[in-house]
Amino acid sequence: MTFKDLPGNLIRLLISMLIAAVALMPIVWGLLSSFKTPQDILRTVPQWLPNTFTWQNYASIFKAGTGGYIFNSVLVSGGTVAVCLALGSIAGYGLARFEFAGKRAVTVAIIAVMSIPVASLLIPTYTMMAEAGLVNTRTGLILVYSAYQLPIVIWIMATYYQTLPEELEWSALIDGYTRTQTLTKIVLPLAKPALIAATLFVLTFAWNDFVVAVTLLSSDTVRTLPIGIYNFLGFYGREWGPLLAASMVSIVPLVALFVVLQRFFVAGMTGGGVKG
Amino acid sequence: MIEGSRSAYKYLWPALALEASFVFAPLVLSIYYSLHKVRYFELGAVVWLGNYLDVLSHPVFLNSLLVTLAFSLTALFFTFVTGFGLALFLNRDGPGNVLLRTVVLIPYVIAMLVGSMLLKWLFSADAGLIAMANAYFRLSIPTILADPTYAMAALVANAIWRDSAFAMIMLMAGLKSISPSLIAAARIDGANQWMIFRRIILPLLKPAMLITMVRLLLHFANVLTFPLILTGGGPNNATDTVALRIFRVGFEDYDLGRANAMAILLCIFNVCAVMLLLAAFRKRKAT
Repeated sequence: MTFKDLPGNLIRLLISMLIAAVALMPIVWGLLSSFKTPQDILRTVPQWLPNTFTWQNYASIFKAGTGGYIFNSVLVSGGTVAVCLALGSIAGYGLARFEFAGKRAVTVAIIAVMSIPVASLLIPTYTMMAEAGLVNTRTGLILVYSAYQLPIVIWIMATYYQTLPEELEWSALIDGYTRTQTLTKIVLPLAKPALIAATLFVLTFAWNDFVVAVTLLSSDTVRTLPIGIYNFLGFYGREWGPLLAASMVSIVPLVALFVVLQRFFVAGMTGGGVKG
Repeated sequence: MIEGSRSAYKYLWPALALEASFVFAPLVLSIYYSLHKVRYFELGAVVWLGNYLDVLSHPVFLNSLLVTLAFSLTALFFTFVTGFGLALFLNRDGPGNVLLRTVVLIPYVIAMLVGSMLLKWLFSADAGLIAMANAYFRLSIPTILADPTYAMAALVANAIWRDSAFAMIMLMAGLKSISPSLIAAARIDGANQWMIFRRIILPLLKPAMLITMVRLLLHFANVLTFPLILTGGGPNNATDTVALRIFRVGFEDYDLGRANAMAILLCIFNVCAVMLLLAAFRKRKAT
């Protein structure tokens, strides 16, 4: 850094700090406030740090059943990831390695479903799930989540397979491997970065989703964490401490995962294209 | 390729079956429902386009259309501009920039529900921030979420806060695809920073910009969590978007005929936007 650059660098630093402050302020303040007593939270002159540090907000939400909500969220997220990876890694292979009648239509359908926002499907899906008796079940939620996330998984996988040298598969086929063996023993181990990217993308969606779950789930035993939080919003009203604590329980594991594996997240956002 | 169409579908059919059951079948059923009178799941008489006409002539729905239009376009403008600024500012791969990109992405990665709730808390009178700002800067901001204009601004702020990072990532991917040698060549020819931006970067970035805009527009036109959590559609329906209206008619009034009609209308808009998106993709492939 030369002296001439100093003003420019200072301005850059200031802008950077401003950006970080705007992005993080609501979250950091929520985190700090989740350790405050109710009186501290509602102080008319707000302060950053808790006067007396307390876990009471967290104790209160776990007493209200948050453990069960976390269990449901883990179950549903895990199930969705399993279904998406199983079906997506296979379908992606078909799309990447074969020329077939209707390939264009399939591709267009994948991009279309990838781009259609979930909200416009809520009422139709609810209508159908009610007819099929899948409302208010974790299985139903896993199936719907999978249907919404599968196209992006197929896309990520197919794009990645196309970057792998096909000669490897040919030699495996010549050595007597079946197509299935080639896929499981040669291709999938090489596609690990794409599998990680797909896992993270699906996991984030399933862990975070609120709108699908709020329409499909109603009984307390099947509620996922976001629905639990939403119910707290009605239950605790203006008592912000437990609400902030529940929010932190939802976002802290995700943010940790994201910070460690950031480069894989970006792949899903831009629609495929993982670098190995 | 050695094998023919039949073996390709061996790989594809499980995925296609899942999509058919949980995306396409609901849409078909939805159209069927939208043509009937429905009360609490009781499929009544066929009314053909009755629900549609009913919805389209209802002042509350028309209001929600205007609200959605105002919200989507304002949010699109500010989110896009902010995201573009961030992309240009953080484009170079230094350790500082990588860190800041991570920070900016955090509001995007966390649950929308939680993000909107945190903002609701900040904007509420309970947090005390507004009172403090008023006292400190001698402003007279009212209770934000109780004032129609400020509530809409809060909704847009929610969108910018969360989704600028998405625009940034999309546009940065576009910027990365521009060959550095082009820019180096222009510099040798004596072009300054502005000319490079105006004459090389902007034209080459057009497909990425179009894709980003359409995806943001789709997201904003359909988003339910922001208004449901942050403003609840109020005050006085000032932030009552179409997505929220559908949710209320469907899951609070259980009028599935009208709700499905509205959902189909929204879907038609979405399909148009997606077609635009596909055209943009094709253009990008071509260049």
